[in-house]
Amino acid sequence: MALTVSHVVGGYSQIPVLKDISFDVRDGELVGLIGLNGAGKSTTINHIIGLLTPHKGEITINGVTIAQDSQAYKQQIAYIPETPVLYQELTLREHLEMTMMAYDLDQKAAWVTAHELLKTFRLDNKLDWFPANFSKGMKQKVMIVCAFLTQAKLFIIDEPFLGLDPLAVNDLLNLIEQRKQQGASILMSTHVLDTAQRYCDRFVLLHAGQVETEGTLSELQAALPEAGESLNDIYLSMTKVDRA
Amino acid sequence: MIGLFQQRRQRHLREMAKYLRLVFNDFFVFALLFFLGGLGLGYSNVLKQLTTGLWWAPFVALAVLAITAQVGRFATLIEDADRVFLLPKERAMHDYFVVARRYSQWLAQATQLILLFILTPFLRVTLDWSLAQVAGLVVAQVLLKDTLLRLDLASAYQVTGQRRMNHWTVKWGMSLIILAVALWVTPYVAGALSLVADIAVAGWFHQHWAHQQIRWREQIASEDNRMLGIYRFFNLFTDVPMVKGTIHRRRYLDGLLRRIPVQRDKTYLYLYSRGMLRGTEFSGLVVRLTVIGMLLLAFIQGRWLPVILTALFIYLIGFQLLPFFQQYDDVVFTHVYPLTWAQRLGSFVTLVTGILTTTAILLWLVVVIANRDLMTAGVTLVVAALEVGYLARLYTPQRLKRAAKNKG
Repeated sequence: MALTVSHVVGGYSQIPVLKDISFDVRDGELVGLIGLNGAGKSTTINHIIGLLTPHKGEITINGVTIAQDSQAYKQQIAYIPETPVLYQELTLREHLEMTMMAYDLDQKAAWVTAHELLKTFRLDNKLDWFPANFSKGMKQKVMIVCAFLTQAKLFIIDEPFLGLDPLAVNDLLNLIEQRKQQGASILMSTHVLDTAQRYCDRFVLLHAGQVETEGTLSELQAALPEAGESLNDIYLSMTKVDRA
Repeated sequence: MIGLFQQRRQRHLREMAKYLRLVFNDFFVFALLFFLGGLGLGYSNVLKQLTTGLWWAPFVALAVLAITAQVGRFATLIEDADRVFLLPKERAMHDYFVVARRYSQWLAQATQLILLFILTPFLRVTLDWSLAQVAGLVVAQVLLKDTLLRLDLASAYQVTGQRRMNHWTVKWGMSLIILAVALWVTPYVAGALSLVADIAVAGWFHQHWAHQQIRWREQIASEDNRMLGIYRFFNLFTDVPMVKGTIHRRRYLDGLLRRIPVQRDKTYLYLYSRGMLRGTEFSGLVVRLTVIGMLLLAFIQGRWLPVILTALFIYLIGFQLLPFFQQYDDVVFTHVYPLTWAQRLGSFVTLVTGILTTTAILLWLVVVIANRDLMTAGVTLVVAALEVGYLARLYTPQRLKRAAKNKG
């Protein structure tokens, strides 16, 4: 089991945003984290990457919790944030090099991977640029390149599709598929439901800080037979319950 | 729209007042009075030696007046969000800009008048001008500034396509011509010229603005730039949150930076050293304090005073560096990277040691050169070495550990 979130209660202050959520991501699996704005997706992710400490419950990655060994825990994660964040004083080359240092990667092998990734995302001639010169989409690509440079076992990707051009979306999906084949797990939050429906193996539907339902598309369809066929319909019907 | 400007002006003035109170503290006012007194005395002494008919005198006057005419910018108090929220009100923005120009006049024209007042004795001595001639020049200068501000106002619109009417060549050209006429021909004609120019720009703008769009991006950028200049000035005296340092590539430092080995426990050193050298916020502070210290020490002799001053400056710099540890806390990767807090602290200590050692050596060299005394040099060296060691290796980690513990 790559990632296990069990009975996590947590949030930014003493008032919990997440109310006892549990789910898991297995090896070689792409799980979609779906929910409305404010449902708790980002809070969940912040707990997993260690920015927040749960009030209750436990998060383990391949059996390790952050409290047991934070370095071993973090070594297994690669994170792509929703809004790209970069070090203003480092060039693209230096961001890559710093990632290699932080994850203790073999320089030579890592640069081979890096050049491939840079070429894929058409950044290979921008190695000496500062983040200030990148557009938002380019910054996002830098985040993707840095994340896929690592040999992480778990990729946490927060809303990757907005801001990327269609070619880059396709390249990213290919990369995800490739890492899945190699046994890595991916947890991805997104609002782009038709893409999620096509690529995700399973879904965790969050609503108001709780896991509303979870499972494969056919399991969701079976659980909510009136809702409709597509993930979009199921998602909409789920939110309607609350509005009614 | 006029109400909006008035509201913003009020907020702006309140903010300026807050900072001015910090800038003009008792100590600074005292120093300023001395400085101005000295300057006034020097000026009056120079005036005594001047005679009528010096060939260079009008050139000096021309330079001073032309530079002064450029002082006092068009303050629009426009904000970034305006280009979205006020876009539907674009036509109504005209009233806003007109009021903004009127507001900009105060400071701009006050500057003109003060400079003219200071320059009057100079003109009367060197050009043998009557008070009426000076009055003519005052009219010319004030009308010239009015014209320049009108050009700024006109440039808020895309009246002349890509070309801006307030391009520096236009402003300087107009100033130089009118002021040269005033100084070499007669100030009365210059006054008339200014008036004609002012009316011409006003008439031309009146005909055209209603059919043109506002240059939102340029206006916002120029207002941001103006505010940044003001904040930078305040930042010399106090902390201004709006001033973020800028970043320079400084390629010539790459050689130095590449000496940091590419290995895991040096990751933060890799980041911190680049951030320190390429950013201006902290490196500027270190450089400023070091240079001030060196200048001070160059003029100070004695057995103990240099030692105490050296120690003081090293302490000041070391102390100011502490917040740099948290510089990257808002970049999520600082927390996500599989690195330990101890590795980060170790890197920071290395950085502080490097900076303080460099500073200490520079200060020490000045002490050696200024004093040429073996005893002073020796004592300074020992004290500086002990202090750097203590500050960087004991005090810094202790403080940061305590701060981290308090934060939880």
